[in-house]
Amino acid sequence: MTLLSILGVLSSAIFSGTSLLYTTLGEIIDQRSGIVNLGLEGVMLVSASAGFAVTAISGNPYLGMLVSVIAGGLMNLILGFLVVSRRANQLASGLALMFFGFGLSAWIGRPYVGAKIRGLPRLPLPGLSNLPVLYSSLFKFDLLIYLVIPVAILVWWLLFRTRWGLGLRAVGENADTAFASGRNPLLIRYQALFAGGLLAGLGAAHLSIAYTMNWTEYMTAGRGFIAVALVIFSKWNPIRAIVGALLFSGAVAFQLLLQSSGIQISPFLLDTIPYILTILVLIIWGGTRKHAAPASLGRVYQGTE
Amino acid sequence: MKTKSLYSIVAVVMTTVLLLTACGPAATPTEAPPEPTSPPTKAPTAEPTEPPEPTEPPAEVGPCLIIGALHGGPINDAGYNQAMHESVMAIKDNIPCVEIIEAENVPEEAGATSTMENMIQQGAGMIIATAFNHQYPALELSYKYPDVIFEHAGGWEMGANFANFFGEPPDAWYIMGVAAGLMTETNKLGFVAAFPLGWTLTFANAFHLGAASVNPDVETTVTFTFSWGDSAKEADATNSLINQGADVITMHVDSPTTIISTAESRGVYSIGFQSLHAQEFAPEYWISGTGYTLGGTLTWLASTVVDGTWQPIFLRCSLFDGCMAMAPFGPQVPQEVQDEVLAVSAEVEAGTIVVFAGPIVDQDGNIVVAEGEVLTDDLMSSVDWFVEGIIGSPK
Amino acid sequence: MLPMRDAIKRSGFVRQKTINAVVRYAFMIVLAFLLFGIILWISGKDPIQSYKDIFSSTLGSAYGFSEVIVTMTPLLLTALGVAIPSRIILINVGVEGQLYMGACLATWGALTFGDLPAWILLPLMMLLGMIGGSLWAFVPGYLRATGIVNETITTLLLNSVAPMIVSFFIFGFWHSPMDTNKTPNFSTSARLPTLFNTRIDLSLVLALVLLTVFWFVMKYTRWGLEMKAIGGNPQAARRNGIPVKIYLISVMCIGGAISGLAGMAQVSGFYGVLLANFSRGIGFMGFLISWLAGGSPLGILLTSFVISIIISGGNLLQLTRDLPYAVINVLLAFTLFVVLARPNFLIQRKDA
Repeated sequence: MTLLSILGVLSSAIFSGTSLLYTTLGEIIDQRSGIVNLGLEGVMLVSASAGFAVTAISGNPYLGMLVSVIAGGLMNLILGFLVVSRRANQLASGLALMFFGFGLSAWIGRPYVGAKIRGLPRLPLPGLSNLPVLYSSLFKFDLLIYLVIPVAILVWWLLFRTRWGLGLRAVGENADTAFASGRNPLLIRYQALFAGGLLAGLGAAHLSIAYTMNWTEYMTAGRGFIAVALVIFSKWNPIRAIVGALLFSGAVAFQLLLQSSGIQISPFLLDTIPYILTILVLIIWGGTRKHAAPASLGRVYQGTE
Repeated sequence: MKTKSLYSIVAVVMTTVLLLTACGPAATPTEAPPEPTSPPTKAPTAEPTEPPEPTEPPAEVGPCLIIGALHGGPINDAGYNQAMHESVMAIKDNIPCVEIIEAENVPEEAGATSTMENMIQQGAGMIIATAFNHQYPALELSYKYPDVIFEHAGGWEMGANFANFFGEPPDAWYIMGVAAGLMTETNKLGFVAAFPLGWTLTFANAFHLGAASVNPDVETTVTFTFSWGDSAKEADATNSLINQGADVITMHVDSPTTIISTAESRGVYSIGFQSLHAQEFAPEYWISGTGYTLGGTLTWLASTVVDGTWQPIFLRCSLFDGCMAMAPFGPQVPQEVQDEVLAVSAEVEAGTIVVFAGPIVDQDGNIVVAEGEVLTDDLMSSVDWFVEGIIGSPK
Repeated sequence: MLPMRDAIKRSGFVRQKTINAVVRYAFMIVLAFLLFGIILWISGKDPIQSYKDIFSSTLGSAYGFSEVIVTMTPLLLTALGVAIPSRIILINVGVEGQLYMGACLATWGALTFGDLPAWILLPLMMLLGMIGGSLWAFVPGYLRATGIVNETITTLLLNSVAPMIVSFFIFGFWHSPMDTNKTPNFSTSARLPTLFNTRIDLSLVLALVLLTVFWFVMKYTRWGLEMKAIGGNPQAARRNGIPVKIYLISVMCIGGAISGLAGMAQVSGFYGVLLANFSRGIGFMGFLISWLAGGSPLGILLTSFVISIIISGGNLLQLTRDLPYAVINVLLAFTLFVVLARPNFLIQRKDA
């Protein structure tokens, strides 16, 4: 295995892991406030199609990115209305949101299938430009890739070092106690969902506007669910999520490398490893409370009326 | 109070809607034309053009034939489905009296049956199914509806009212391989394929044989995405190939847009397939490409259905019969390369070059086509080997 | 974690005041149709014509009606696969995965023993399908019963694993170069017999029988009573000597077995081949249906029927109204949203 192929896997992992990481960060915020968003798949699809459509019309990928982000936030607010205001079951509402996303994104994106867009421009890292083209093109990233790690650190800081984050986690642990100590669980959960939606929108924007430069129906192909698995794998921690996302997408990149080296290992079995690893990690943690999910995850907050 | 009034509003609206839907025909005058899919009125279509086709359009009221066309993906994908869609639409251009009902993103296998049933219930007398996995549902329906003609693209089954048509791409792939072999500097070519399908392996083999014929050092790496249209996987695969040093990328998936855009963004040459629209995605690093142009063939098939002379024939037609076409060369392709590619193309057309003439050796060194023999079409569809020089697993 | 208690509470009115509930749901569905109609109208389509298409192509002809039933059959089974575990507060989001594993094992049977006569082969395939589904449910059930990991997370994760295992088998062992993403066609003896000269197959009968059995068991047997006890208060149930652990594992496995049966019915009845990624969300839809119906058998039947009308009605919209097929998911989602949101004016009517 040459240096080039190792760097190649790393580069591929970074390219394809970025959208996953943004989405995972969004879901971490949702779940830290006590809400499971199973509709991520739908949220991403609507964001991706809306962002792609706007990019195709306006020719400006940054405008498309903005629309993606807003679309993601709005989609999550629908979930917020159902599970926070109407106190509906979170899993069912999430799945309903997923089906909504399937339909709405197909509708929005249909005229733009096969449209040619100007993707997010790739900016070379300073200092790398005098390397051979082959190497420098490995690490010529777009804006969203450069931003993803700072955003992950920002999310960590927001969750663990600010009053807002403290309140959000308190609501996720126990909404009643949080309410008793003067916080407004409903508002906090809406904020968390909106913020999470914005991040999922960024992930979708990277997928459609920067990475594939394409829109097709159901193009997320399960990424929303991978993000949910990643949240668990990274123990609801944004910093661990960076490692998790790299590992998950690195597995795909490594699988492709093996495939094109003529090594006969089923790519499908390799693709299952992240999920099985997550389950194993969960089993190893066992029932110990220290590692467990936010305590009121999935609970309907009945309020105090 | 408030809720009560809301309730009554809903009740009123609901009853209105129910009434409107219940007595449907009475309610139609609300909108201007009740049927958007109205037949192509009696416009004076008889004179204006002298179509090259054997049929003259009978200028009568109502369509002379309703054609139901179903595609497995979106009809504007700049790839396979768009090529097929445009071919189907060419029928309408040439025979104005036909009416076409189209459906895109139709589910595979038995999921397509209800779409075809609905088309037949809408009066379709001819069904054109262009997705690979629509062959068996179409064949099964052909027994149920003996009066409807079924044409399927790219399969092998035949029946009394069921036939298969398609282009004949291996020659085109060989010619593209020549172009790739001449253009590559790293001597590494990348091929992103959807499935280890017999035809796909044949295409990759033809491509590599073409490249190796002008550049003996060349290697072709094949990577599968296991989906006709998973853009993210396609981008992953393209990046992986480029990272391993490939500097010409080609593909056999439904829509080439992601792969070509990715190659373009990394400054790597690409060769398109499926639709001639692919070139729009690589303004700079485009070499060339081939696409299906089956409009003439489908027009002829439809005309035989219109005049009642349709016969179930297994129809395959090549680059040189107009069923496929070559895209123009890109700006970076030198004149010598263009000339050489066109010369090879002429030789293939003349029959002096036969792509799969033996001896052909596979990856493991076994002779798969013996000296003096030629791989037949039948065998091409079930190829399960890669020729020597291709890296990747044919399974 | 993640209790479905609110769902179970709501199931009360389905059984007690069925007519009331049906009326209420009808109102909600009409509201969803209104919302969707507005969107159709904004995007320049004629809503009235669209709804006419949906209803005339589903309820307006014998063929259309039969297709509704064809769509409904797997949903009945997957919903049942969720509903049974939900009675003891087990949340089985993993029907999708169990469906795939059932289909996978049943396909193994069909391809290996394709020469056997149908009367042996079909029961064998059903058994294999049920084994596949219950294996996939056993893991989460066991982990939950022993208190290690909650079943929502594991079932969700296993959902993503199952389709890959199916693909592994398709491309690894059952693939021919003539095919893309599917196995060779099944022999005729491996196909479920169809009824009334339509695509409705025997699995409809199975689904209806299982729904009845479920209703009977819950209402008239000791098992039903004990499950109710566990569903009401697991701690108290344990103190009263009910083997809660065994119930948790076995009920989960039963749910998985029925989901696996749905997978078997899909490959043996509907498709006649095993297609990679064939499900298109049937398992998730089953979860939603079971939830909306509050786990009651009659509710599952009615909800599945309504949802199937919407799903199969969307088919014609594409041909006549030039709308992408997937758009019908929007109408479906509106229906789900409205029911989930339980509009105020409808709730208050219930109190009155």
